[in-house]
Amino acid sequence: MLNIDNWLQSNTFHHGQFWDLLGLIKEKEKKNLTISLCIPTLNEEKTIGKEVVLFKSELQDRYPLLDEIAVIDSGSTDRTLEVASSFGADVYHSAEILPEMGFKRGKGENLWKAIYQLKGDIIVYVDADIKNIHPRFVYGLVAPLIHRAEIKYCKAFYDRPLALSGEIRPSGGGRVTEILVRPLFSLFFPELTAIIQPLSGEYAVRREVLERIPFPVGYGVETSHLLDVYFEYGLDAFAQTDLDRRVHRHQETRDLGKMSFGILRTFFKRMKARGMVNDLPELTANLRQFLALDNRYEQVIHEIYEEERPPMIEVPAYREKYGFGEI
Amino acid sequence: MSEGDLDKILTRVHGLAGELEPFREMLLANVVMISEIPAPTFGEEERIGFLQQRFTESGLDTASIDEIGNGVGILPGTRGEQTILLTAHADTPFSAPENHSCTLETDRILGAGVADNSLGLAVLVTLPTILEGLNIRLKSDLLFLGATASLEQGNQRGLRFFLANTNRALTAGISIEGAPLGRLHYRSMASLGGMISCHVSRKVSQKSAIEVLNGIINRLGAIDLPEHNHTGLVLGEISGGASYKIPARNTQLTFQLRSDDDQTVVDIRNQINAIVDDEARETGVSCHLEGIARTRAGGLESDHELVVLTRKIMSALGIASRESIYSAIISGYVEQELPAICLGITDGDNINYPDEYVEIEPILTGVAQLIGVLMAIDGGCCAQYR
Repeated sequence: MLNIDNWLQSNTFHHGQFWDLLGLIKEKEKKNLTISLCIPTLNEEKTIGKEVVLFKSELQDRYPLLDEIAVIDSGSTDRTLEVASSFGADVYHSAEILPEMGFKRGKGENLWKAIYQLKGDIIVYVDADIKNIHPRFVYGLVAPLIHRAEIKYCKAFYDRPLALSGEIRPSGGGRVTEILVRPLFSLFFPELTAIIQPLSGEYAVRREVLERIPFPVGYGVETSHLLDVYFEYGLDAFAQTDLDRRVHRHQETRDLGKMSFGILRTFFKRMKARGMVNDLPELTANLRQFLALDNRYEQVIHEIYEEERPPMIEVPAYREKYGFGEI
Repeated sequence: MSEGDLDKILTRVHGLAGELEPFREMLLANVVMISEIPAPTFGEEERIGFLQQRFTESGLDTASIDEIGNGVGILPGTRGEQTILLTAHADTPFSAPENHSCTLETDRILGAGVADNSLGLAVLVTLPTILEGLNIRLKSDLLFLGATASLEQGNQRGLRFFLANTNRALTAGISIEGAPLGRLHYRSMASLGGMISCHVSRKVSQKSAIEVLNGIINRLGAIDLPEHNHTGLVLGEISGGASYKIPARNTQLTFQLRSDDDQTVVDIRNQINAIVDDEARETGVSCHLEGIARTRAGGLESDHELVVLTRKIMSALGIASRESIYSAIISGYVEQELPAICLGITDGDNINYPDEYVEIEPILTGVAQLIGVLMAIDGGCCAQYR
């Protein structure tokens, strides 16, 4: 029943397979594809400059793989936008894209608005907090989509070290993946367990897919993508590429709790919509965590609304821009 | 070189920094990528591999790695009567497990080794693309060398090996260092880098090796260092012992002795040897002097045409040249009697510390200076030394 072994064999890659960038660009041109890079940001002044310079220099000036490099920002209060623009990225305030749709704070919002703003047939999303950024983070993800028409969504995975107190050491990493997402997938959608890093923030997707799926604005966006694309196209539409190492910020367990809460809400919403769970109560938006103060405990309530944006193809301004006509 | 030829070069370099603007991102990207590949002395393979990839992408002839690990590539000139060596050392004082991640701000790049010498290497690997992009075609062949094993105990082994074994008749050499801009080194002092080790055998003596080394240090301080040839002794680093409670069993001192005169260094080394031997006469005490690195005195005179023209080019670009004219880098060239200078590309600080940085704005001026000097050598200012 499970397609996992075959899929791992045929749809899992290593970035080293795609070192021939000239060949890749030739193939891209032959297929008449355009590729946009979207870097969603919120206060990333320390890493954004390096990312933009590397991608622009290596994947636009030296090897013209990317047609567009865009930073979409949720309202940084540091110099993120100034730095990004000084090194040649197109810079957008998320709030100024589709202003009639309003603005919601969250990474998913930026990713969703990128579909309207950017012009590529393929959009590759790369997080801005990667300390060891390298061109492979882009070409490793777009190459499977360029080479194989049936692949629609290519996800990154890593041998994931955490940067801790100045020293870099290998680690299991991906705590939310291992203690929440993979157990959930194992129970309900076992084929999706083949995706080694379901929560990685780096992936390349065809526009025809992106415009047809809803986008949670917050923590649930990666999980919802996997589920929605899987429901619509099955496992064979996915690929994954090993990008070796990714050095990133270490997150507190408390913050991972918030992430897990958002993922669970997104997950249950889809289970319910598919009739897989009955009698589910109204899901609260309140995550309760505790602080220890001397001998007593104080409850802290975080309100986490996992609001969702509709598929972009339902947005009138998008239909007009891309010539779909009225619904 | 005639006044007219010099004027042409000075006119050409005048607006060159502006023309280099389209190559800024490529240079910065190369600085970042090079910096993030660890390259401790004797462990530069991966970084040299990257340089080779860049040389090959730039279409350099015979991009290759020599038997000592240096990365080499040649950009043929229109005539090829001269060969100019351009080199930057590839190694850093940072060990591989240390954090090599860089940060790019609007006005500077921060990270271990960015100044010493990722920027120098980045200029080396970007220069072929820059020259092609600006349609600057030199008559001379340019030989690009990413040199290994340069620092400390490496003792310029990569560059020395290349100079001693190349089958090319070189016209001149330029060593590129990331910082500081205004650096113009064309002479080397005679020097000896040395390490004194002291050991006390516990079976025989309870004396602390620190006391032994202290005795040696006191006697080193009493050595008469001739002032007329600028002889100096620097005590650089000290280590030893295991605990405050136990007399130290081992101690080590590293030092550098330098002078304008090779013989003075030899003489003082003999004096140091005698002191070390004398201190080791005590029962249970052993002391040893080991040479880590040495350089020879020599180099160009300040009125050599290459030095004079380089100063004029720097001046035309508004670069104030620094006072020091000495660098150990020049010693390798002195051994082969090759005219050579060492240039810096931009300003920076905290060199060899993890918060090392270089300023971005002056980089293009630094590259313009380098291109100007290449034109001067190409024009024949070192031809009589071939």
